[in-house]
Amino acid sequence: MGSRASTLLREEEIEEIKKETGFSHSQITRLYSRFTSLDKGENGTLSREDFQRIPELAINPLGDRIINAFFPEGEDQVNFRGFMRTLAHFRPIEDNEKNKDAAASEPLNSRTNKLLFAFRLYDLDRDDKISRDELLQVLRMMVGVNISDDQLGSIADRTIQEADQNGDNSISFNEFIKVLEKVDVEQKMSIRFLH
Amino acid sequence: MPRKSDVTAKMEDVGIEIDGNLSDSDEDASPRRGKRKPGTRGRGKKPVSDDEEEEEDTPRNRKGANKKKATKLHDSDDNSEEDAPKRRRGAANNKKKGGKVQDSEDDSEEEKGNKRNRKGATGKKGKEEDTKEKKGDTKGKGKGKEDEKDKKNKKKKESSSDTDSNTDSEDESMSEGEMERLKEEVEEKKKIIATIRNKPWRMKRRLVHLKECQAFVDKFEGALGKGKGKKFYAYKVMMMKKWIKFQRDFENFKTTCIPWERKIKEVESHFGSSVASYFIFLRWMYGMNMVLFGLTFGLVVIPEVLMGLPYGSIPRKTVPRAEQATAQDYSVLMDFNGYCKYSVLFYGYYNNQRTIGLLKFRLPLSYLMVGVGTFGYSLMVVIRTMAKNADVGGGDGDEGEFTFSWKMFTSWDYLIGNAETADNKFASITTSFKESIVDEQENQKDENIHLRRFLRVLANLMIICCLGGSGYLIFFVVKRSQEFANRDDLSWYEKNELELIMSLLGLVCPPLFETIAELEEYHPRIALKWQLGRIFALFLGNLYTFLFALFDEVNNKLEEEKSIMNASIWAQKEYYANFTLHNNDSEATAPPIDPSDVIRGPCWETAVGIEFVKLTVSDIQVTYLTILIGDFARAVIVRFLNYCWCWDLEATYPSYGEFDISGNVLGLVFNQGMIWMGAFYAPGLVGINVLRLLSSMYYQCWAVMATNVPHERVFKASKSNNFYMGLLLLILFLSLLPVVYTIMTLPPSFDCGPFSGKAKMFDVIMETIDLDLPAFLGTLFSYAANPGLIIPAVLLMVLAIYYLNSVSEAYKHANAELKKKMQMARDEEKNRRNNTESTDQVMKDLEDLLPNRSLLPPAPPPEPSADKADQGGKSPKVKPGTAGKDVKLQKDVSLSSPNPNSRGAVTRPPGPRGPGSLPGNGQQGTGAGPGRGRGQPPPRH
Repeated sequence: MGSRASTLLREEEIEEIKKETGFSHSQITRLYSRFTSLDKGENGTLSREDFQRIPELAINPLGDRIINAFFPEGEDQVNFRGFMRTLAHFRPIEDNEKNKDAAASEPLNSRTNKLLFAFRLYDLDRDDKISRDELLQVLRMMVGVNISDDQLGSIADRTIQEADQNGDNSISFNEFIKVLEKVDVEQKMSIRFLH
Repeated sequence: MPRKSDVTAKMEDVGIEIDGNLSDSDEDASPRRGKRKPGTRGRGKKPVSDDEEEEEDTPRNRKGANKKKATKLHDSDDNSEEDAPKRRRGAANNKKKGGKVQDSEDDSEEEKGNKRNRKGATGKKGKEEDTKEKKGDTKGKGKGKEDEKDKKNKKKKESSSDTDSNTDSEDESMSEGEMERLKEEVEEKKKIIATIRNKPWRMKRRLVHLKECQAFVDKFEGALGKGKGKKFYAYKVMMMKKWIKFQRDFENFKTTCIPWERKIKEVESHFGSSVASYFIFLRWMYGMNMVLFGLTFGLVVIPEVLMGLPYGSIPRKTVPRAEQATAQDYSVLMDFNGYCKYSVLFYGYYNNQRTIGLLKFRLPLSYLMVGVGTFGYSLMVVIRTMAKNADVGGGDGDEGEFTFSWKMFTSWDYLIGNAETADNKFASITTSFKESIVDEQENQKDENIHLRRFLRVLANLMIICCLGGSGYLIFFVVKRSQEFANRDDLSWYEKNELELIMSLLGLVCPPLFETIAELEEYHPRIALKWQLGRIFALFLGNLYTFLFALFDEVNNKLEEEKSIMNASIWAQKEYYANFTLHNNDSEATAPPIDPSDVIRGPCWETAVGIEFVKLTVSDIQVTYLTILIGDFARAVIVRFLNYCWCWDLEATYPSYGEFDISGNVLGLVFNQGMIWMGAFYAPGLVGINVLRLLSSMYYQCWAVMATNVPHERVFKASKSNNFYMGLLLLILFLSLLPVVYTIMTLPPSFDCGPFSGKAKMFDVIMETIDLDLPAFLGTLFSYAANPGLIIPAVLLMVLAIYYLNSVSEAYKHANAELKKKMQMARDEEKNRRNNTESTDQVMKDLEDLLPNRSLLPPAPPPEPSADKADQGGKSPKVKPGTAGKDVKLQKDVSLSSPNPNSRGAVTRPPGPRGPGSLPGNGQQGTGAGPGRGRGQPPPRH
């Protein structure tokens, strides 16, 4: 399998991915073999069904949202480049990267981008605001039918009330950042990819 | 295997490619440098160090590197004076890295893992390095067919290295950049070692530096496969890996060793933290009782069984002849009479022989010590746990800001891949939401204060009436049972009246209290505490009425004993007199009286012990039956009768039972009080209790999961269950009193128990002091027991308590102050961050306007003073007027300044300059070089 991975992956492609995502070469090849093993259709792209076979995502109440995050708008296939681009959000921030010149384009795994990724999970209609309805949907996914609709509504209201600063009854990205200010996102939204 | 080697081969290719890229860019940027690179190690060393710095800053992002290189080259054209700081900086970087690696042992496990990976990787790096160097020598950046050869070599080497260590999987997992960097670091260090003589440093500093460098080289040269330490290094890496793995496994093992953790977590996820807190308490109790059990059985029961006289040898170990007929009847045994009474379970069985067995085990002394030690240990453990819990409770400062948002956005654990765990997580998220809702509702409730107050007073009044009534009832029943004790024609009810009434009270009153408490409308958490307090009072009343009744009984028995003692002695004399009279032979000794025929006293200690054991056993029975009937039967009926019933049984009355936290907690606490009081008179009681707790853990876990539904208002338990502990401490103290009272004042029975024949139980200690310890110790003890000494000692203790108390108050105060300060500092920092960002923006614009003066410092005002200080110490040559250089130099220093401790290699003169003298640069990272901070906003912390 690995041999195929290395033969199918062209060097130039690896270089480009490397530049774009910051993964090391071995990480890319490793992830490529993972990619191909997920790819049951063997057509070089992943479909939603491929993702849903991952138990962690199948169980996760937000699994569909996460899977959605892999797919560009309007498409239902994702190639390796797109796959890596999404995964790059979860690359740990390294010490020497922190002090880096931020004038250059921000790396995909910066705190802001990590948070943006999380934000997108909740922002269904991509209007850069989490509205009450969107919160309610998430809540229903997370608690099922165990809590009455009234209570869910009041939870959603409370959440917005806590986070909302400009009084538009929705949570914008800046407010989202503010809420999660004390959460160690850098660490929590990082996956230790094998080197 | 083919996969791996292929991948490694691949990676090698890329490594070469990177090299090629690098040299490419070098040549593009400056041919001069390209020339210098293959040159000798004199001056050409410098760019290498530059390279290395770049590596560190941007190991992966090559785009930015080129640009920076240009500036770097520009720098290197400057005076040689700049060399010193730069080299220093490089050294500092190296040092930092070395330090980091060394620190890794102290780091958290994950980091360790990372580090380990890297180290493992470096082990292999060396070989690749070799190949690459070879390649570089032969044909620069060419990559073609020869590569295949190299690859093959490589593979061979790899396979040979497999025997060295099984770290080959790490081969693929290293990045070429790191390898390169490491190598260059080593080179750098070597150079420093070589040139350290020329450095204008103090000797001490040189020595320190030299040592560090040598350590670094030793450590990593092996890794790079140059020195002789290669094999050793591989071995070390392997051992390190194994050790870390072992540690991790051990950590996991320790977690799995926490008993019932899974069960409790499961209950917690479905029923909330409040119900779980009961089970955690139960588990804690089990642990404590195991220790008590070990003490009692190890030091009293087992020695007696092994080394003491066997059953039937002396009267106290024999069932009296009158009782022998029924001694094995089930009903008698269930009352702990017959053989049970004359067994090792009870006080009366123990002999007063000073030492038993070959080991001369002093059983009476040990008995007393264990009795006292039980209390001592319990007190210590309870108080220690309380203190620890209080510690934990103070940890979390500022929550409650975004409760719901955090729950909403961060509650799911994304690593869950198991369906069952996911179900539990669902349940627990739901539960935690419910808990928060309850808290929230409580906060927002507006209430009619007067009505509420009236209702609360009313409720308390009613509850006090209930308490008084039940107390009187118990007293009445105890009196009656004393009357019954003199009669023989008792029905089953009359015999067990006391236990029945007490159990009934325990059954009826708590629900009654709960009903009354609904008038009060407290928050469930507070309501639980009230409920606990009230039921505690009820139980306490019961307990103490029971105790006073018991003392009455004991006093009666003591009276009785006196006459029996005379009768017994008289009978014995009579027996021997008769014997000599009948046989007319004063020489022959009479055969001893059969032990079962001896007239003996009532042995009040055993009677007390039996009372406690009976109470405990009936308590267990009642508890278990309540669960079986009240919860299980109810659940079964509700579940299955629901199919054919007029109304919905599940949703309306009676529905399923809820888990009664207060009742269960108090049952446990009360039971433990019984154990503490009874353990002295019935050593077997502790064993019974251990069995009870063990079975009740499984039984109740099952019952709660199978038959109960979560509370309507699930609420969050306070993190420390110190309230439970407080109740336990109180009951411990209360049960300590009667036991100590009996030990100190009542005379022990004359013919049973380890202290028989002594005036007081504690005489056994006096005896030991007199007989076994040297004489001077005896006098010492007698001095120590002098009231003149004891009273000052008590006074001293009181003063100490007062002092410690006030100290802790002061600390608390200081703590609160600090918290406030921290909050303020945080706000301030936030503000400042925003401000600096804006100024930085301005600076950026300015710099864009003045490209040649790009090295202007971002925050000019505070500089002159710092500047002067620097010059005084370091570079007297530079004139204050020459702006460009001056500023650059200054900036250099300021960049290295923020964290002076972590960078030992910086040759900063010990001038008066404070580390934070340059607020504008204060936040910049230590790794940034001169001119690199162009328009850079301070990094986020």
